[in-house]
Amino acid sequence: MKQWFKNTSVLKLIIYGVLMIGFIGSVYFINHNHGFYDQPIAKITAATVEKTQELTDIYGNEDILYTQHLEGTVQNGEYQGQAIELDNEYSLSGANDHEYRAGQDLFVFIDGSAESDAALSGTIDNVKRDQYILAITWIFIFVLLVIGKRQGFYSIVSLALNAVILSFALDIYIRTENASLLMIASISVLLFTVTSLLLVNGFNEKTYAAILATIAGVFAALLLASFAIWTSGGNGLNYEEMQFLSRPYEAVFMAGLFIGSLGAVMDVGITMSASIFTLYEKNPDISIEAMKTSGIEIGKDIMGTMANILFFVYISGSIPMLLLYLSNGATWPFAFSITLSLEIARALAGGLGIVLTIPIGIYTSIFFIKRKRAAQ
Amino acid sequence: MNVLILLAFMLCMAMVMIGGKKGAISFVSLFINFLVLLFTVYMMNDPGNDPILWVIIACVIISCVNLFFINGINTTTLAAFLSTVATMIVLLLFILFLTDLTMINGFGAEEIDELSLLSLYIGISFVELAAAVIIISTIGAITDISISISSPMREFHLHNPRMSRSDLVHAGFAIGRDLLGTSTNTLFFAFFGSYLALLIWFKDLSYSLGDIINSKIFAAEMITILCAGIGIALVIPIASWITAFLLTRKA
Repeated sequence: MKQWFKNTSVLKLIIYGVLMIGFIGSVYFINHNHGFYDQPIAKITAATVEKTQELTDIYGNEDILYTQHLEGTVQNGEYQGQAIELDNEYSLSGANDHEYRAGQDLFVFIDGSAESDAALSGTIDNVKRDQYILAITWIFIFVLLVIGKRQGFYSIVSLALNAVILSFALDIYIRTENASLLMIASISVLLFTVTSLLLVNGFNEKTYAAILATIAGVFAALLLASFAIWTSGGNGLNYEEMQFLSRPYEAVFMAGLFIGSLGAVMDVGITMSASIFTLYEKNPDISIEAMKTSGIEIGKDIMGTMANILFFVYISGSIPMLLLYLSNGATWPFAFSITLSLEIARALAGGLGIVLTIPIGIYTSIFFIKRKRAAQ
Repeated sequence: MNVLILLAFMLCMAMVMIGGKKGAISFVSLFINFLVLLFTVYMMNDPGNDPILWVIIACVIISCVNLFFINGINTTTLAAFLSTVATMIVLLLFILFLTDLTMINGFGAEEIDELSLLSLYIGISFVELAAAVIIISTIGAITDISISISSPMREFHLHNPRMSRSDLVHAGFAIGRDLLGTSTNTLFFAFFGSYLALLIWFKDLSYSLGDIINSKIFAAEMITILCAGIGIALVIPIASWITAFLLTRKA
């Protein structure tokens, strides 16, 4: 133990200390925060299934419906400490219902005060999930720090920083009348790129080349996507899944495409500039042609996997909705166009951004290397 | 003219122009991955099939396509394949536990209005589907990191055959750590992009912080992003150990 203290720098000790205090403090707080919620929270103490009913809908889907009786105690507000009884219906598939268990905290609506000793009655509104979110966040932080060390720490900081920038940008968009989402997204993209790349790579020509390549790459992807939508009159894009929005769908879609492809394009941009600068550092007399050829070779290797990463992130989220439509008698083309068209368009446009960043990255890196050579 | 066909054509042209034959293979593998996903959805549509079993089958096929079809069969791709499958199974167990615990299965109260015309009792377990979604969203990144770790490790081993197993593992960790930042960034932004509409909507509804954190949709998004990050970190030790084991066992 003593040895360990000696071998650890002061900064590290401070970081460990802050982490431990943050961890203990936040876990304690989240388990005792019931009083901060206005809505009553009930802790379930007993759950029994009272009725089971088999069910077949008009499309021949079979399911089982359960009726559950729950007993619990109110944790906050004017009824704190009183017993409450709730009824819950849930299905085997659970598309819009849940089987509750003893020990869970639920947000409830209470029907009104009960007579003398009888238990309160009410309806269930939502599950209290904050303690789980916190626990998973801490697991994420610890796993990244233990495995990734310094780089893991930078990943966490960069995620938090970018989430704050995004949230702030959206606040501006919501509060400003007639604000252009694309304009706000463009400014955020500049901020995201500069902060993320500088954070990971520091101030040097390599980073500047990557920043320029990334920005040119995402704007190229956006332009090509707009061009494709414009020439085809938007034919084939179905904005059904965004119907809940009271905002122009197309702008939201384009902004999502823009921000979504940014990470992958940044990855390609930094890979290209890092490898070309390494070539130059190993052999300062290397010819421009040789750098171009090696750059293209590296690009060939990464473009497929990068496009794949985007593809899976976008498509996977639509699977439950796609299954729901298919089970409700929708034909494949209809279900496909309603649930997948936007995701596929996003993945393809992101792929274009990735591929175009390869030559752009080569040129921006060579530009900075030429400048360096001229200065010498 | 359909936007999707036009964009697919443009992507194919760009990949072939810049990547030549390798670019064409990349485009074909993207297309095969898409077909594999559609086939998986088709199989999951039958309530008699277990979604978890099918998501494992899909991931195995997808990593075969991404590793063996593009790079051929050799020690590197074999190590990357084993690492991908091992990471996926560890992650899957963790995620199944989480989706059940946090009740993020199915659709949120905010989404349910537009689905009012549909029958929701379709007999397919949405708890397992929620886990399947998270796993599939990270499979691309996990295969990418495992091949990026195992391929340079093989080079180290070739140039320096006397390198011990633990030295190889250390080298693998170092490579993985360098990839961590950019890979997590790639995923985070992709998720931000696809959740943008929902984020704007939450802001429009002026939810309180408590409403947002406890809502099913936001919780599901947070858990997806965090699990993706955990998966990317986990693949680093797994790929380093498996590759080092395979390389030193052969020698």
